Amino acid sequence: MQLLSGDARRAVFAPLDDGALRSEAVVRRVGSAIALGLLGDGEQLPTETDLATMLNVSTMTLREALAELRKLGLVATRRGRGGGSFVQARDDVLAELAEERLSELGTTDLRELGDIHGAVASAAARLAASRASRTEIARLRDIVDRLARSGSVTEQRRAEGRYYIELAACAQSVRLTMQEMDLHLELGQLPWPPAHAPELLDTIVAGHRAVVDAIDARDPARARALTEQHIETRTLWSIELLLGSMEAGGAFGGREVS
Amino acid sequence: MSRPADDEAARVGGAVAGVVERVFATVAAVREAALRPLAREGFATGAPVLADDVPDLLLERGQLAVGLGLVVAPRPERRLPLRLEWWQLDQGDSRLRTLEPDLRPTSMGYYDYTSSAWFEVPRRTGRRHVVGPYVDVHGTGRYLLTLTEPVEVDGEFVGVVGADVPVRRFETHLLHGLGRPPAPFLLLNDEDRVVLSTDPRRLVGELLPPGTPASGAVEVPGTPWRLLVAEGADAAR
Repeated sequence: MQLLSGDARRAVFAPLDDGALRSEAVVRRVGSAIALGLLGDGEQLPTETDLATMLNVSTMTLREALAELRKLGLVATRRGRGGGSFVQARDDVLAELAEERLSELGTTDLRELGDIHGAVASAAARLAASRASRTEIARLRDIVDRLARSGSVTEQRRAEGRYYIELAACAQSVRLTMQEMDLHLELGQLPWPPAHAPELLDTIVAGHRAVVDAIDARDPARARALTEQHIETRTLWSIELLLGSMEAGGAFGGREVS
Repeated sequence: MSRPADDEAARVGGAVAGVVERVFATVAAVREAALRPLAREGFATGAPVLADDVPDLLLERGQLAVGLGLVVAPRPERRLPLRLEWWQLDQGDSRLRTLEPDLRPTSMGYYDYTSSAWFEVPRRTGRRHVVGPYVDVHGTGRYLLTLTEPVEVDGEFVGVVGADVPVRRFETHLLHGLGRPPAPFLLLNDEDRVVLSTDPRRLVGELLPPGTPASGAVEVPGTPWRLLVAEGADAAR
């Protein structure tokens, strides 16, 4: 069983401390792990008991979550010898799950998430400008090139996650790197902007390229400012998406505003 | 007559070289285990190479390494994929665990070790190497120095053996071992990155800003590192 190794995968099964609605938190965590490829298609999940212990939830909560994941079609359970729960990576379901998650959040939640991601990533970019080696800068470029070439939403999400995690590693900081991993498990639960508007991928790629150029030019202030600006733009996109879906769904029209 | 800075460089450099040799002695023991007649067959067949007793090296008294093992060169033509036989001690734990990073290229957490310097440099040069300080992202997740040397079977590169030493552990061990407070010094790696510093203005992990005077830096034997001791160090104390 490989499930516990690799820092990103370790983060998938780190204890949940979301408080209420825990079975939903488990569903979201597993969903984003699938979206980021941390749990592969056909991969077997740990046993119920092990999973419950790792995530720090009761077996009851975990069973509820697994039932929900089965209903969604993200997990299939086989009984008997060689049985267990297996991952089914389904992009359509993941997209739906992301829309649903977005609709549960308020604009302040999205702003908060953008604020913390902006703080972590721009600090990483600033430090990387004075700490990244030539080899590391080349690797960052490579990741951004791969992002530009990625054809599917899942590939794009994974390349983007790798970009920010690598940026934090270039800052020589274990703590910033871990923060980025946790943040991506959260960001992976939300819609990927180019899924709605494919042209946004160009903006994302151009934004990351400009940051790598600033790092290459050993310009910490610019690397930081560009990262901040880019993440602010991203926050704006997600807020627009949220407000747009509210209008479309008529959330302002009916019961909430009377 | 020698200058005090030279004496200090010799003293600190000797201590650094000594610590590095100690870790490489462990790496050599892993290499020997990998090349035992029965073990080495695993390189061709895909069977485990290292015997179960190899990770016990981590439990030896005074061991600096917290991780060690073998990382096999993948051979797609023989259907032999990426593979590690690596053990580690987790922080505050004396239990040995195997390291099983994510080796699927489709994952955000893919541990693409063939492009990492600790694998690539010994493969390319045929010589041992010390990498770091670096964040071992997607692997152990630690801040490390990784010491590796190539393994060859019948003249063919088959992988690297190595050991991980946390940067903090290296620093603490070395500074305690030096006894009397050393003169301010900088230990730099082959990328001009600070490995160890007793000058609070220079932080571990930083790259030495271009144009910083580093003349007088002396090579540390058996390492890709250079040592720079502040001039007039003795007078300053």
